[in-house]
Amino acid sequence: MILRRSKSPPSLPPVVFYWDLDKTYLKSEFETLRELVRIPFEKPEHKVAVPGVVPLIRGLRNVAFAAGRQVHIYFISASPPQIAKAIKEKLALDGIEYDGIVFKDQLHHLVRGRFRNLREQVGFKLTELLKSRMTLPAGREVLFGDDWESDPIIYSLYADIVAGRMALSEVDDILQAIGVDPQLIVEAKQLATKMVPAAAVSRIFINLERRTPPSNFQRFGPRLVPTFNYLQTAACLFQDGHLTLPAVAAVAQALIGQSGYTPERLANSLADIERRGHLQPVNAIAVREYLAALGALPQRARPRQRQSPWLRVRRLFTATPQPPPAADALINYQALVAEWRR
Amino acid sequence: MGGDSAPEEIVKGVAHASLHTDIQCLLVGDERQIQTILDAIAYNPEHISIHHTPDVIGMAEEPKTAVRAKRRASILVGAQLVADGHADALVTAGNTGAAVLACAQHFRLIRGVRKAALASVYPRQIEYPGQDQLALLLDVGATIRCDATELVQFALMGNAYARGVSKIPSPRVALLNMGVEENKGGDVLVQAHRQLKSLSGINFVGNIEGNDLAKGKADVIVGEGLLGNVVLKLLEGLAEVVVDLAGTARQENWRWKLGFMMLAGSLGKLRDLTDYAAYGGAPFLGFEQLLIKSHGRSSAPAITNAVKVAAKAVRDGVTREIAAAVGRLG
Repeated sequence: MILRRSKSPPSLPPVVFYWDLDKTYLKSEFETLRELVRIPFEKPEHKVAVPGVVPLIRGLRNVAFAAGRQVHIYFISASPPQIAKAIKEKLALDGIEYDGIVFKDQLHHLVRGRFRNLREQVGFKLTELLKSRMTLPAGREVLFGDDWESDPIIYSLYADIVAGRMALSEVDDILQAIGVDPQLIVEAKQLATKMVPAAAVSRIFINLERRTPPSNFQRFGPRLVPTFNYLQTAACLFQDGHLTLPAVAAVAQALIGQSGYTPERLANSLADIERRGHLQPVNAIAVREYLAALGALPQRARPRQRQSPWLRVRRLFTATPQPPPAADALINYQALVAEWRR
Repeated sequence: MGGDSAPEEIVKGVAHASLHTDIQCLLVGDERQIQTILDAIAYNPEHISIHHTPDVIGMAEEPKTAVRAKRRASILVGAQLVADGHADALVTAGNTGAAVLACAQHFRLIRGVRKAALASVYPRQIEYPGQDQLALLLDVGATIRCDATELVQFALMGNAYARGVSKIPSPRVALLNMGVEENKGGDVLVQAHRQLKSLSGINFVGNIEGNDLAKGKADVIVGEGLLGNVVLKLLEGLAEVVVDLAGTARQENWRWKLGFMMLAGSLGKLRDLTDYAAYGGAPFLGFEQLLIKSHGRSSAPAITNAVKVAAKAVRDGVTREIAAAVGRLG
């Protein structure tokens, strides 16, 4: 892991943002063998970032800095270190400042004949997250992944281990059920015992790149937010205090300017995340009004949206309540793993 | 949100369209119910918006009474939204009578059009390779009786729709009658025949009899609403009887069963041809705005296709073409 610690006055608790790379930051295509083979030879300038992710990460850093908060941005990827150079160059091209990046040493597993480990990501990512946690000052964490592999289960497991909400025997059972390498299970348990319990992970964002039905993630609790695009993520991060309205607007404008989104598509996205209960009406209104003033949302609203002030006030009070804090959610990992394996 | 399988199949159909097309869909109905269905399936939220309205007119409700009593019914609110320019077309699988009344209440007739016509498509024999498997029949119930000019206008509307949506460069238009001779069918039909024959820009092929409807002799068949409705119901009823007979015969004895197994491929093709899901819906023509009426039993694929048909008709400017054709008629 390369560490380039950011320095800023520690007036607020530090915040760490962990990012997956493929399908979360990069729009990697590996559905076919041809696409998979092409990835290592792809030049940095040919790699494509997921729409809106670049201004979002920049916004996270800038907003934290402006608030005098220590911020760390890490990438943890199951891609092999052989493509590290191209990835780092791509991040530099995008102007992304980060504090560390980890790749999975697939060659190491190949040489040792641990073929199962080549595809298994849970053990690798979980231990990397736990190791990273040991080296960083205690603070809040936000994790970003996608719906392609096992990010929801890895991130949720990690969050609950860090929070001290899981017995070691339970961790052992789950990792064994998943089929994690025994050595990694031992390592994960050792790291877990050293952990000072803290409800550090405040939010897990899952990019629904495969358009997985959102209800599939309900069992992970309200801490995990499945989002269809980075405007939805940005709006929720604004709600959580990690982004400002101008930073959300930067994401919206990038989506329109660089990725062919229309104001109507963005308006629909905002309405969707609000309907799904992840964005409180008061925050949805704030985002909507700010973006509409900038022309990033349609100016002309349908009749229902042209509400009287009284209706708007009533809507605020009858709206879906803010999701409960992460500590309230108890995840049935055994059932999750059983389903995941199917 | 009307229809026998609403709202599930409607929402699923729109969700499918949202993933595979760039069509912006506005769902009108109970917001919470719609979102619950969406949550459990794959969809693209960027292409879907929801307009909340609590009421829906049931399939069995008497249209006039229901339209008067349920001012916030989804079909009425949907028609209002289209009329106000918040959407370009209305798609419904709900109560046909209520849909017709909603359009009559909120949509404006194209300048010069005297009556709107409800169309329907039905499968027919193909006379040449590449011919559309479906013919357009109008009117099938929006009117009872018509005069000759109204029938001519129906012909122009059907012609514009077949050109725009079915992509038939010169659709063959026929008048539904009791004989192929020009002087058959009474004053109205004789006069309509004369007017259509004299029109340029329309490929009028004369009268068509009931026994030729299922053949590929015409692409657009025009008739009064009363007659069109009887024909449509007769075709539907016949199809049901055939399916029923086939089902009964299959259970008769092993030889019949064997026969059916050998015919399975051909029967499958026949089923595909008569599957209403493939064509999605038929238009209500004559208004400045467009309604696509899907079958009440529409499944999700039928709704997806109805949405595509509506988008195609809007993109190809079908209503503009109708307005131009009617304008030329004077």
